[in-house]
Amino acid sequence: MTSYRLANRGRVDHRKPVRFTFDGKRYQGLAGDTLASALLANGVHLMGRSFKYHRPRGVVSAGSDEPNALMGTSRGLGRFEPNTRATIQELRDGLEATSQNRWPSLAFDVGSINDRMGSLFSAGFYYKTFMWPRAFWDRVYEPVIRNAAGLGISPTEPDADRYASRFAHTDVLVIGAGPAGLAAALAASRSGASVMLVDETAEPGGSLLSEPSVTIEGKLAWDWLSATLAELAALPNVTIMTRTTAIGYYHQNLVGLAQRLTDHLATPPADAPRERMWKVRAGQVVLAQGALEKPLAFDGNDRPGVMLAGAAQTYLHRYGVKVGDRPAIVTTHDSAWFAAFDLAEAGAKPAVIVDIRASVDPVLTVRARSVGIEVLLGHSVTGTSGRLRVKSLRVSRLEKGGAGTARKIACDSVLMCGGWTPSLHLFSHTKGSLTWDIELKAFLPGKKTEAVHIAGAGRGLWGIAAVLDDGANAGTEAARAAGRNVTAQSYAVTVDRTGSGVTVKELPTDRDPAAAKAFIDFQNDVTAKDIRLAVREGMRSIEHVKRYTTNGMATDQGKMSNINGLMIAADALGKQPPQVGLTTFRPPYTPTTFGTFAGYHQDATFEATRKTPIDPWAQAHGAAFEPVALWRRAWYFPKAGEDMHAAVARECRAARSSVGIFDASTLGKIEVVGPDAVTFMERMYTNPWAKLGVGRCRYGLLLGEDGFIRDDGVIGRLAQDRFHVTTTTGGAARVLNMMEDYLQTEWPDLKVWLTSTTEQWAVIALQGPNARKLIEPFVEGLDISEAAFPHMSAATCTVAGFRARLFRVSFTGELGFEINVPARHGRALWEKLWQAGQSYGITPYGTETMHVLRAEKGYIIVGQDTDGTLTPDDAGLNWAIGKAKPDFVGKRSLSRPDMVARGRKQLVGLLTDDPKVVLQEGAQIVADPNEPKPMTMLGHVTSSYWSEALGRSIAMAVVADGRARDGETLHIPMPDRTITARVVKSTVFYDPEGTRLSA
Amino acid sequence: MTVMTASFAAATITELPPSARFSLRTTDPIAASASLGLELPTKVGARAAAGARTALCLGPDEWLIEAPEAETPALIATFSNLEARLPLSAVEVSDREITLALSGPAVLDLLATGCPRDLAKLAVGSGCRTLFDTVQVVLTREAEDRFHLTVWRSFAPHLRALLDIAARELAAGL
Repeated sequence: MTSYRLANRGRVDHRKPVRFTFDGKRYQGLAGDTLASALLANGVHLMGRSFKYHRPRGVVSAGSDEPNALMGTSRGLGRFEPNTRATIQELRDGLEATSQNRWPSLAFDVGSINDRMGSLFSAGFYYKTFMWPRAFWDRVYEPVIRNAAGLGISPTEPDADRYASRFAHTDVLVIGAGPAGLAAALAASRSGASVMLVDETAEPGGSLLSEPSVTIEGKLAWDWLSATLAELAALPNVTIMTRTTAIGYYHQNLVGLAQRLTDHLATPPADAPRERMWKVRAGQVVLAQGALEKPLAFDGNDRPGVMLAGAAQTYLHRYGVKVGDRPAIVTTHDSAWFAAFDLAEAGAKPAVIVDIRASVDPVLTVRARSVGIEVLLGHSVTGTSGRLRVKSLRVSRLEKGGAGTARKIACDSVLMCGGWTPSLHLFSHTKGSLTWDIELKAFLPGKKTEAVHIAGAGRGLWGIAAVLDDGANAGTEAARAAGRNVTAQSYAVTVDRTGSGVTVKELPTDRDPAAAKAFIDFQNDVTAKDIRLAVREGMRSIEHVKRYTTNGMATDQGKMSNINGLMIAADALGKQPPQVGLTTFRPPYTPTTFGTFAGYHQDATFEATRKTPIDPWAQAHGAAFEPVALWRRAWYFPKAGEDMHAAVARECRAARSSVGIFDASTLGKIEVVGPDAVTFMERMYTNPWAKLGVGRCRYGLLLGEDGFIRDDGVIGRLAQDRFHVTTTTGGAARVLNMMEDYLQTEWPDLKVWLTSTTEQWAVIALQGPNARKLIEPFVEGLDISEAAFPHMSAATCTVAGFRARLFRVSFTGELGFEINVPARHGRALWEKLWQAGQSYGITPYGTETMHVLRAEKGYIIVGQDTDGTLTPDDAGLNWAIGKAKPDFVGKRSLSRPDMVARGRKQLVGLLTDDPKVVLQEGAQIVADPNEPKPMTMLGHVTSSYWSEALGRSIAMAVVADGRARDGETLHIPMPDRTITARVVKSTVFYDPEGTRLSA
Repeated sequence: MTVMTASFAAATITELPPSARFSLRTTDPIAASASLGLELPTKVGARAAAGARTALCLGPDEWLIEAPEAETPALIATFSNLEARLPLSAVEVSDREITLALSGPAVLDLLATGCPRDLAKLAVGSGCRTLFDTVQVVLTREAEDRFHLTVWRSFAPHLRALLDIAARELAAGL
């Protein structure tokens, strides 16, 4: 037990010591401590170094607004966290904490040279100093500044923890479990409404935990709290969540809650996530977030030992820790007087209460003097002393227009209070308006945009009685709005330490204000004089002042600094604060881990990986895979010793000489059915469908309204009113959406329906001269001879005993079939064909070979050879347009002047002069390689492969006026050389007569 | 078909064997009802059952018809008969999707890890098309503590992995 830990005080468990280390040194705290309270109990105030000036810093607050006591915490590899707020991190056995932003040690830090050179580092310093030469910014200035400034070090190893997420729905969500929130939750829950009550700290109670002497309904605060929590816990319609921060308030009462689950546990259970993101849809929201205490701005207000008076009160009552033996109190609000009285009662000897106000309630002064505390009214604080811990306070009497003769008062801590700021963050997220309260000198919630009720100190009320009644009212209103019936309760409260205060700018000083280091934003090291400098340099809006000085831009989002900064800026501008404005608060309310946002999207469940029924076979046979949209597809099947090039060449040879087998299951499939199916097809696709016979297939081309190619695929007519449409793998969902869009908004009269059947069917393509011989013995109920089942036929039949849809189609230029069987049978059919195909040397091939084979035939891949700016004519697909059709999607756009103008890029073939050179896809094409830069770029290479069948490279490209350049030599400049290639207007490189299709 | 079950005390996840499934679209449910032997419900989310055959209304003109696998040929015959008489689309989707049965006292929490809907309000014997994680699913409530989750085949492993993580999380009790 240290002299700063008070026996029988606090809500910590004095019988349960907890061991931890800070910067390698062993300490002991108690169960129920935070890291900050445990360090304070050990007399440690120095907890970090500041961001810019590396000034020694101690803890300022006892809550989530802490700007100084940011530490690295760790529980092993992959579980290091920088910038943990020591005021929030609960103590756990074995916790390892390290200070940040110092070298070589916290007590002696080389970087603190910045502090003595502070005059060089004023606001806007970076903008003014590091401008020239421009190239120095990236290489020299920024890296050096980043090293010198900054906070904790980002971990580099993968996060070893798991994170969770959960949706929830509730009639009433109460945010903040202080007296207002508790009263709101009680009122709402008694109505029968479902209620969620959340609090960011480890224990509900809020200010009651720091205010034990107040009595509510005849009970001492903590007894009332226990009774209230017991009542709530007994209600089945109430959920209470602690360690749960409402981080964001989104549209239609969707609130994000970040729940910390294991950081406080010495040994978390296996499988337990570290944190959970709740997405709560609430009928009504009650914001009972309370108010945040403001620091006062005076020279040296950041020395270790200087903290908020309310924080000292919390450390005393909640944690049983005396922050100092001889505190000095500096305040503009009555609340700090009570902190002084409580500390005196606990055995500390407060040196002085300095109040800026000329007069206060005499009850306060009488009581202070009765316990031996000196009172200085109408005084200013003009400085502090002490290097690693405050030693004294410099005070001056306020005289007209300034501060008088100074006097030094010894102390070991300074407790400051500049009043309280209603916490408006979540309300601001809703874009609710704020109104300036002249009396309180504070912004209060104004017009609401959501079903929200604001209660307690969060709307400027002060005192336990006031906030309890207000909370009860808000809970009642929320329950009523949720359709419940309940009457508001009024609370009988005694020993309620109400009070008031004033809001001030930086405290007057008798010394040179330009030399004063009166910090406004502790985390970003912004001082009062920085704000004034920003105004002098022309910043008028608080948004500009903020960006120029970085005030409020740290991870605490200005919880302590915004209003103080605004008061000073307004004073410097000679305007009222609301005319200068308040910066916008944005989610998250407090820093939130990336893991919590990612939730389950980590490692194997990062995102869905779609696999076909045949994928396991491909995996077992050593396939290399590539991602295509969300699918993973077999890319090629290397044999031992083969690289990709060798494997693909072998697969190509097999398909051209015997038979290849390919998993085409990922192709998008849409069944278009209904009496108006053919009308719908005529309108959607460019091609004519009316005369397509049942049992026949046709290549279909889909345009957007703009006339550009969107998708393509082979479409079979299975019955008069039934089409089996295929789409590209990546386009499946997009095409179905587009079709549904037209059907529902343009042609609701059509009696036709669309059903995605992509996953109903496994699709196996057999391609090559032996394809028919292989499949024939398996087919029942269908004659598949050339005469009976020619190229572009479709039929239902049985293949290997499975119900099948058989298509005689080819994306390779070879005789080919695509067999569709119900997905669950895909692998079985594949294995049967594989077995039977051994005598033909059947070869599985992947997407790379498929791409080569189709390129040899000049078949395009939408999205590779097209890029959303190609018309059918650009792509050489005019033949696919039904010229006699009155209309189809995109038809009108095709006749616009720019769509038929000369100079459009057209798809052509490119043959390199050196047949061994394979062009790079995406490479730019020019006419004159000697043209000065920037050259005129004619187009680019869209597809390029080694063609095993042709024994040379082939390429497709989009080139301005490409078809008119037939035979022309063009140039492809590469980093190391310029390649020459000849344009061929036809992209069909192999078997241009198509004789192989009908072998 | 292997039936894989994972049980983590609070919630059990079982993959169900295949069934006959058809996506039925028509503007004339009354005429279609007689042939199907059940009355197609017209309220979105409502489900009708006749014996082992069910019809879940998923949209103003859309039903998911489900029956034991043995009924597949009979249903195909029924639909082809109907298609000849009525403006209608019946497409077999038996193999398009996989159904997972989720049950146990914590089944609502299990679903709340990925589904944004308030499923406590989904009545037993009704269903909805919704999202789990980023994936479209059809959920039906079979009992207070039992749901069927139907998802396209290739997304099933992703959902199964998520549900298994969630079930373990529920068992961990935090």
